[in-house]
Amino acid sequence: MSEEQGRTTETDQEMGSDIQRAATILRQASEHARQQLTYRYPVLFTTWGLMYLLGYGVLWLSVLGQHPYVGPTSMALLSLTLIVAAAMAITVVLIGRAVSGIGGASARQRRVCALASLVGFAGLFTLEAALAHAGASFAVLGVYGAAAPLLLTGVFCALGAAIAQNWTALALGVWLVAVAAGSGFGGPVTVWAVDALASSAGFLAVAVVRLRQRRDR
Amino acid sequence: MTDDELDPVIHVPARLRIMVTLATLPEGDDLSFTRLQDVIGLTPGNLITHLRKLEDAQYLTTVKAGRGVTARTSVSITRRGRSALEHYTAVVRDLLGSVSPERLPD
Repeated sequence: MSEEQGRTTETDQEMGSDIQRAATILRQASEHARQQLTYRYPVLFTTWGLMYLLGYGVLWLSVLGQHPYVGPTSMALLSLTLIVAAAMAITVVLIGRAVSGIGGASARQRRVCALASLVGFAGLFTLEAALAHAGASFAVLGVYGAAAPLLLTGVFCALGAAIAQNWTALALGVWLVAVAAGSGFGGPVTVWAVDALASSAGFLAVAVVRLRQRRDR
Repeated sequence: MTDDELDPVIHVPARLRIMVTLATLPEGDDLSFTRLQDVIGLTPGNLITHLRKLEDAQYLTTVKAGRGVTARTSVSITRRGRSALEHYTAVVRDLLGSVSPERLPD
């Protein structure tokens, strides 16, 4: 090999390793940024799935065998409150870590979504109080108490998915609405069990899908 | 494509990391200087130097808001910057495909 051919080969090797390094940085930096700056959806969906499974499961166990139906016990409602509080704390921490330092359009969107959720659930529980005030039976209040929060969650999920154009989340939203709407026909005791199992299955399925999507990238 | 098409502004490891990180955010979003430094892992002085180079090339913009304790510097990638990064990525991909195996170091 001539001296010039030797130098050309060496330059090509340097270029090759330079390009390889650039490709590696592109891949690693992209993955690192995604891990740092986006929600950990598999963990979030798993958290919410467990929240519904455990929270509604406790309520179902407390009303199992009630004839006539009088509603969940105070201990069960306290347990639900603690479970929901724990799930919300995990959600706030995970989202907070991801979006820390991020400003602009998505930050404004998050604030609007948070406000809409608060207003929505406040309205939902106020309506429940109005139904009780109007003389609704324990059975009706039981069906409403189980199905309404899940239905609202499904609607928010579907709307958020439509904005983000995420079809997996849209499917989950539609599933939650269908479960909430249909489970009521089972009566005030069965509704807690159906909602617990069906909604948690939906959330956990989406968690698995999002985990696979993350790995396949 | 040849390696002459590699944008020399982006083709520096630190600046490439900065561009890729900012491109992760959706259009319309920005990232605080502090968070960017945390994600990239550069010293403040080093980061400022690289940000200036990218800003001179109009690949990103920095905005300072507030005063004193509440002052916040945010950084966002421009459309020109996104386009430049996309082109850079395409060039790297093309060159990776064209460099024959026996020329790559072990």
